[in-house]
Amino acid sequence: MRLKLRKLMDHALTAGGYLAIGGMALFLLWVLVPVFTKGFGAYVFRGTVEHRRMMLGEFNRGDLARLRAELAEVWRAREPVYRAVAAFERELDAMPAARRKALRSAFREVREGVAVLLGPEPGVPLPALTRRLYGQTRWEQAREKAADILFEETWEYSDAGSRRVLVPRAEQFEGTALAPVFDSVERDLAAMMRPRLTVYPRFLTDRSIDAHFFGGIGPEVLGTLYLSLGAMLVAVPLGIVAAVYFQEYAKEGPSVAFLRSCVNTLAGVPSVVFGLFGLAFFINTLRVSPGKSVLAGALTLALLVLPTVIRASEEAIAAVPRAFKEGAMALGAGRFRTVATVILPAALPGILTGIVISMGRAAGETAPIIFTAAVSVGQMVKPSEVLSQPTPALSWNLYNLCTEHEAVEELRHVQFGMAATLVLIVLALNLAAILLRARVARRLKG
Amino acid sequence: MLLSPGARTRRRLAELAGRGVLFGITSVAALAVMAIIFFIARDALPFFTQVGAREFFLSTEWYPAHQPPRFGAAAIFAGSLLVTAAAVLLAVPLGLFAALCMSDVLPFGVRQILKPVIEMLAAIPSVVYGFFALTVVAPLMQNAGSWLPGQFEIASGVNALTASLILAVMALPTIVSVSEDALQAAGRELREGSYALGATRAETLFKVVVPASVSGLFSAVLLGVMRAMGETMVVWMASGNAAQIPRPWYNLLQPVRTLTATIAGDMGEADQMTGSAHYHVLFAMGLCLLLVSFACNLAGEWIVARQRKRLRGG
Repeated sequence: MRLKLRKLMDHALTAGGYLAIGGMALFLLWVLVPVFTKGFGAYVFRGTVEHRRMMLGEFNRGDLARLRAELAEVWRAREPVYRAVAAFERELDAMPAARRKALRSAFREVREGVAVLLGPEPGVPLPALTRRLYGQTRWEQAREKAADILFEETWEYSDAGSRRVLVPRAEQFEGTALAPVFDSVERDLAAMMRPRLTVYPRFLTDRSIDAHFFGGIGPEVLGTLYLSLGAMLVAVPLGIVAAVYFQEYAKEGPSVAFLRSCVNTLAGVPSVVFGLFGLAFFINTLRVSPGKSVLAGALTLALLVLPTVIRASEEAIAAVPRAFKEGAMALGAGRFRTVATVILPAALPGILTGIVISMGRAAGETAPIIFTAAVSVGQMVKPSEVLSQPTPALSWNLYNLCTEHEAVEELRHVQFGMAATLVLIVLALNLAAILLRARVARRLKG
Repeated sequence: MLLSPGARTRRRLAELAGRGVLFGITSVAALAVMAIIFFIARDALPFFTQVGAREFFLSTEWYPAHQPPRFGAAAIFAGSLLVTAAAVLLAVPLGLFAALCMSDVLPFGVRQILKPVIEMLAAIPSVVYGFFALTVVAPLMQNAGSWLPGQFEIASGVNALTASLILAVMALPTIVSVSEDALQAAGRELREGSYALGATRAETLFKVVVPASVSGLFSAVLLGVMRAMGETMVVWMASGNAAQIPRPWYNLLQPVRTLTATIAGDMGEADQMTGSAHYHVLFAMGLCLLLVSFACNLAGEWIVARQRKRLRGG
């Protein structure tokens, strides 16, 4: 009996361990699958004719003649809508005051809905905001906006809570000149929008138009590259030198122990405190730039990844077989020459692994760049401006777009696109590190 | 030696100079942390002299934008504490179990597959976790109130529980990898001795291996605490950001506000007014975070040093 119980406990342990690990793997999937599947939707989606019109208008991409032909066909489907709207406007003026009052605001909503779905009405002056120049560029959003025209959203309140009720607007406007609008929106939506599978790889590099309503995430990608490369440019030399010193030169003693302890402490500083430090030191004290800048952000990120670079390089240097070093010394090489020509080349793959992982970390960090480098709205930063200009960055703009932007719900595809791109960059770097490490392990095994 | 005395001196001098330069550069890298303390403290002190620590630590009235402003951060400290504690309570048992499993139960091949999984969990940027919390977890949480037993109402999907859940996942990789190293370090002989005495695997692990590596496990937990406490983006996006102490205090379903989220959220407004009390109070919060993380670090190093001494002593 006792033995049975002990065995049971043993199995319980195994089961618990498997559960914990399975849970972690499942959680990873739970995060990655939606991010990647929905993020993919930013690059490949069903684009409407409005997308093609926008592409030609804003980026000068596409075939004008073909677009014209397409627009002519689209016009045939859209014309009844515009005709009905115009007819109803006249009808409304002739209505008795009470009925006019009842219908006017609903009519205004329908008209606004049509403008949002199809773009500005022909004949009216062009709107000032670029986002209003075009209709819905994505088919799934066009369908949602069409539903907004067809149904009025109301809320039914009761003790159990509120419930959403959709009331067809067609009932309200039955018998009026506006009725054909609902029929044609319901029936001919595809003919009005002409959705087509669209591959948009340049989402990655295109500038954003009107705060991400159209276009791509180029400025953010570029900013993330500047920041992470800049951080590595500073952290790598410092980190390797420190690692060489700790491994090859330092004699154990209180001062070296203190320096080591400092590096460990640096690794534990919360990332947002790095941001405060960057603001207080690089911007307000050293004044490396008049305000936020890529330079200040890169310096802050460099400090953040420095301990990782030092540790990885130390490990790589420690893993170089002693015989290499002794051989070099026996041939009469000094310590410096030994390090530079024998130890560092041998440790290089290991050091690179650490560098690549740190770069992924720098690319993904948000808190340190909020006060030092990031702006919500900005264009591509030219290489000549990195010393003085702030930049958008994937991490910060993902935050900004999904919490502070005015159209959070409508821009989900851009948010997921950014998240997927950021995760892809970071995971690609990590994958490179894993492959590098496997190569090192193979080589060390012989 | 074939070298002339002069050449030898020159060589020694060069070596010394090289060592000096290396030492200098290393010191710059290492002493960065001193600069961080200095500059954070320098900008935090004016707050304590102008407003005073009493209101900061004891009052829960956080109205930095009012006239006159109130800087009572007690609720924010409580929020940080609550979220961190909940995350650690979730992550530590899971992480220790996973580490035990990784080090002693799973076959080598499976472990080789799982290592990248854990690394990927650690590599995903925190803002992506925050985005995930906001778009996937929060709506689920919002609806959970209706089908969970007890029929309690969840006012908002962004609350302390959502933030703690995600924080726990983010702390897991650290806890798992550090405690796995600690368990591995306990050595093969110890395990084999225990098995030879007829102990099962569970008994070996809990009565022999875990006690032998307890200091390493403790430092793993400390690192997890630091990770959860210092995390900014997830708590900013998923904790609701209401500067209040939940009622009752353990009610995780209410929104809270943490130190990190307050710094990140308010500095955007405050950087226009460098020098104001609002600017300095954020540095005071940063200083508190810094001090706690130092304390954790020191505690970790002390535990490791003590363990090393004990091992050396026999």
